Amino acid sequence: MVSTEQRQHAEHIFLSFRKSKSPFAVCKHILETSKVDYVLFQAATAIMEAVVREWILLEKSSIESLITFLLTYVLQRPNLQKYVREQILLAVAVIVKRGSLDKSINCKSIFHEVSQLISSGNPTVQTLACSILTALLSEFSSSNKTSNIGLSMEFHGSCKRLFQEDDLKQIFMLTVEVLQEFSRRENLNAQMSCVFQCYLALANQVLSWNFLPPNHILSCREVMHYIAMFEATQNVMLKPTASWRETLLDHRVMDLFFTVHRKIREDSDMAQDSLQCLAQLASMHGPIFPDENAQLTYLAHLMEGLLNMINGIEIEDSEAVGISNIINNLISTFPRSVLTALPNELFASFINCLTLLTCSFGRSAALEEVLDKDDMVYMEAYDKLLESWLTLVQEDEHFPRGCFVQPAVQVFNSYIQCHLAAPDGTRNLTANGVASHEEEEINELQEDDRELFSDQLASIGMLGRIAADHCIPLLTGLLENRVTRLHGQLQRHQQHLMASADPGTVDRKVLDDLYEDIHWLILVSGYLLADDPQGETPLIPSEVMEYSIKHSTEVDINTTLQLLGSPGEKATSIPGCNRTDSVIRLLSAVLRTSEVESRATRASLTELLSPQMGKDIVWFLRRWAKTYLLVDEKLYGQISMPLSTAFGADTEGAQWIVGYLLEKVINNLSVWSSEPDLANDTVELLVTLVEKRERANIVVQCENWWNLAKQFASRSPPLHMLSSTVQRTLMKALVLGGFAHMDSDTKQQYWAEVLHPLQQRFLNLINQENFAQICQEEAVKQEIIATLEALCGIAEATQIDNVASLFSFLMDFLSSCIGLMEVYRNSPETVNLIIEVFVEVAHKQICYLGETKSMKLYEVCLTLLQVYSKNNLGRKRLDVAAEEDQYQDLLLIMELLTNLLSKEFIDFSDTDEVFRGQEQSSGAGRAVSAADVVLYGVNIVLPLMSQDLLKFPSLCNQYYKLITFICEIFPEKIPQLPEELFKSLMCSLELGMTSMSSEISQLCLEALSPLAEQCAKTQEKDTPLFIATRHFLKVKMDDLAEYSELVETLLSNQRDAVIYQRLADAFNSLTASSTPPTMDRKQKVAFLKSLEEFVANVGGLLCVK
Amino acid sequence: MADPDLDFTSGDAGASTTYPMQCSALRKNGFVVLKGRPCKIVEMSTSKTGKHGHAKVIFLSYFCMAVFNHLVLVIGVKCSSLSLQVHMVGIDIFTNKKYEDICPSTHNMDVPNTKRNDYQVVDITEGFLSLMMDNGDVREDLRVPEGDLGKEIESKFAAGEEMLVTVLSAMGEESAVAVKPMTK
Repeated sequence: MVSTEQRQHAEHIFLSFRKSKSPFAVCKHILETSKVDYVLFQAATAIMEAVVREWILLEKSSIESLITFLLTYVLQRPNLQKYVREQILLAVAVIVKRGSLDKSINCKSIFHEVSQLISSGNPTVQTLACSILTALLSEFSSSNKTSNIGLSMEFHGSCKRLFQEDDLKQIFMLTVEVLQEFSRRENLNAQMSCVFQCYLALANQVLSWNFLPPNHILSCREVMHYIAMFEATQNVMLKPTASWRETLLDHRVMDLFFTVHRKIREDSDMAQDSLQCLAQLASMHGPIFPDENAQLTYLAHLMEGLLNMINGIEIEDSEAVGISNIINNLISTFPRSVLTALPNELFASFINCLTLLTCSFGRSAALEEVLDKDDMVYMEAYDKLLESWLTLVQEDEHFPRGCFVQPAVQVFNSYIQCHLAAPDGTRNLTANGVASHEEEEINELQEDDRELFSDQLASIGMLGRIAADHCIPLLTGLLENRVTRLHGQLQRHQQHLMASADPGTVDRKVLDDLYEDIHWLILVSGYLLADDPQGETPLIPSEVMEYSIKHSTEVDINTTLQLLGSPGEKATSIPGCNRTDSVIRLLSAVLRTSEVESRATRASLTELLSPQMGKDIVWFLRRWAKTYLLVDEKLYGQISMPLSTAFGADTEGAQWIVGYLLEKVINNLSVWSSEPDLANDTVELLVTLVEKRERANIVVQCENWWNLAKQFASRSPPLHMLSSTVQRTLMKALVLGGFAHMDSDTKQQYWAEVLHPLQQRFLNLINQENFAQICQEEAVKQEIIATLEALCGIAEATQIDNVASLFSFLMDFLSSCIGLMEVYRNSPETVNLIIEVFVEVAHKQICYLGETKSMKLYEVCLTLLQVYSKNNLGRKRLDVAAEEDQYQDLLLIMELLTNLLSKEFIDFSDTDEVFRGQEQSSGAGRAVSAADVVLYGVNIVLPLMSQDLLKFPSLCNQYYKLITFICEIFPEKIPQLPEELFKSLMCSLELGMTSMSSEISQLCLEALSPLAEQCAKTQEKDTPLFIATRHFLKVKMDDLAEYSELVETLLSNQRDAVIYQRLADAFNSLTASSTPPTMDRKQKVAFLKSLEEFVANVGGLLCVK
Repeated sequence: MADPDLDFTSGDAGASTTYPMQCSALRKNGFVVLKGRPCKIVEMSTSKTGKHGHAKVIFLSYFCMAVFNHLVLVIGVKCSSLSLQVHMVGIDIFTNKKYEDICPSTHNMDVPNTKRNDYQVVDITEGFLSLMMDNGDVREDLRVPEGDLGKEIESKFAAGEEMLVTVLSAMGEESAVAVKPMTK
């Protein structure tokens, strides 16, 4: 065994050897005599480093002879270890690159040599030649593969430019020749294959070259570009310069890669390279194409080649991803105008081929899922192709009308087929038709399919719209069929249960299959019928609208409404059901599913139902309601009569469906209280119904809504069994509903039903004389907790137009909450919840509040903090959760303080954007300012903060964010702080700067700069702030003081006169513009600008690799 | 749960010391009875068997109060039906190891009635606290808690500091769980 010391000692020997002066003779000797591979490797490294280091001192001839020596050395020793050989070749490449700087050496002679090696016909020699070229390519690519030789980015960049125009092309030509030669051979033995593979990989490397634009002017952006290119070499799109036209636009080159692939496609490693070459060619764009015509010819040829390649073969597993990459690159790179200009027949067969491939990859992906493979190649390929479809059809107006309909039908059908159970579909079937079915444990962290497969579903939904004529009726038919079967199945179970009463005997297999079918059908329907744009008003997709309009003449409106309004009946049993609007019928199929579910719950079959299906239903209804319910005709150029008659404003249909949805929500909340996700999706549906005023107006007319409100206010079962988040959201919805349009009596009555009981019960409770005695009783505690939860929900319902009334309502509670803080001071869970109420109110409301109201909120928050601090200072607890509890309290308090501070940035209460300026003029009489509250709050928090608590990353972050905010917004308040607070604040800053993460120290520096400005403004030298700031500045200035020295050193290091001048000028203009350092904004901007110019100018020189 | 051997909720815990609550309505930081012991919930998560299965809730909690330093048995109970599956693991608080329990989320769990009272410490004799109640009476039946908290109380008392201790009671047991200096 080698000990650690021995190892370190050995390392040290090699390291110092590599630093030795002019080691060339010794190295040559070692190379020629030593038999130890590792020593050979180190000798090669030593040569490489020494040449770069001592370049100036070396004679040109000796460098050349060194190159010759190294090349001959590897040539004569075919049995060298691979890593030794590559290191020697790397040394050659580095020397050549270094030489290209002063043009003392060029690649020509090496290329000459290499081409001779290649033509030797000896596989070993040919592999060596390939290694030489690969080493050169890596060095000149200026990527992360490039060695560190201590030269500027600008040097690397200009080397790369020169190389890509000439030498790179030469390498490519050499490679192409070799590949051509090999592709002509009939039988390749193993050794030949290896050579072939090397050159193929080399070709791939050339085609993945990240071309630099040919100009020589450096912009700031380009400096960034240099730096970035050292990091990334993945996923480069091929964008060669114009000089590559002759090379890459030659059809024979492309043909060659198709031929090569055909030859080696069964070898999965090589196939990956050849397909990647083709994918690179498919991504080609930029100045290489003189005009669109050239692009068209190129694309046509590429497509023909691709079709020939795919059509004749059965695709191997290892080809799937590569082929889909080619197609995806091609579709996303070439402009629509070029795609449409292709000969019709060619384009049609391309689309046809794409369709077949998509369907087949989809089926294979499904198989992979069944077999639970680790490597999901077909899934990846399928995703890529679906993405390509989305790109294609999103701008389908460029293409002949209807040209994507048939393909869309096929892709859509195959997707549906893969997701349905046998006999209609193939879900869970292995290749030989055996069904596999496994129940696995699923935890709450696993994403729902609607998110997990959202990209796939979006593409399929889009294709479904393109072929709406086929897809909408298909989905409707399948869903109606499944619902009927589900209904029958549940009925059979019910009879069975009544007979035997043993739920254990129920076979869920048939049910689960139906649930899974319905699950996918609803997901696809949801994605087809509507989008889910974040924040914007969702519109009915134009394809769906057109489809409905197109058929509206054949539709009988009354039957449609009848169909919609009778979810309890079988759709097909309604006379004339074939003359109904298909879009409405698809919705009504989901409603039928929902109805079967609801009825099963009423028949006490909830145990048999699938909560997943329940989620799917309310998810769909929510997505649908956002888009279709009360459809606004003004948003559409033309509108479908059936849709506007059924769901338009002031229609019976809309009223009916709102009522129906409400009933669904109420039913779900009582039946599914034990399913948190489902309950959550359900209340979200309710929020959707009331968050828009127009919808809320109808909702509040429903009796059910009032019942729900009353039931919730009375805290009776089953609503009180819901989880706390669901209860909060429910409260939010009930409050939002209260702002719907009602006459004043009704409105008064509504609030009397919803909010007043809350207030009444609460006041009755806390005003009891013996409250202090009964406060620990379980019923009292529950009442208090429920009230606090409800308050959070009320705060969440805040909108700009209801803030006034909600604020005064909540304010009354907040004062009482302070009293509760006192009463429940020893119950951490209650204290935590009380603080949360304040956080929510501040978060949702402060930005809308005017001056007096903000003041009130500040004051009450201040009192809260005082009480909290009084009760917690010096408190010691025994249980293990104590630290966690305190951490949560402090986190909430800091959130509260930050929310209060946010008033300074976001303020909707005043249109005047200079809120602070106005505050200073009018705020003289103000009792409390945000600053006072926040600083006081910090005063309270600081003693409770400990270094241990700062180890919670989120707490640490929040704490320093808060400090920085304070320093930025109120630097003038800092010197007035009480001494203790001031000290601990400064300690925190110092701690943050010295011993926290870089993110934290950045925050601290940001906090420091306004403090320093404050000092500069007041010009008083003896204040504590000045002293403290000077302390910090000194810490930082220790580095910066060396600035001028650094400049000197940099300048003296530059031997090149031109660069010297450039650097000197750059430094001069940098400092000239920023003296004298006054502190107004203009100056700062000017300095930043010149700093930016400076970086652009010399950054390329100073960044060294 | 018909087997009397598996019933942990009875014993010295009388009916009025707990009340039932549906699993899904329990909250983190709240209380629950696990294995007949009052516990504080520190983690809660749900899972289901199969995509269309019903939710189960998993608890992770610590004993909320000091109990005697005995080891609680590790017991697993498995029932055949999907919705009746129960799996519990419980370990003593002083080792700071966790209690775990899985139950269907539709089930009711027992929640202990808990009460916290603050008393002033007037004396410490032979390991027992003398605490002044609100009505002026003094009770002397509570032990000084073990560990750091007990030492803290004793050293404060020795230094003549006035302090309040918080006494937590649940299911017939009581213990001092926190101490705070009296505010002047």
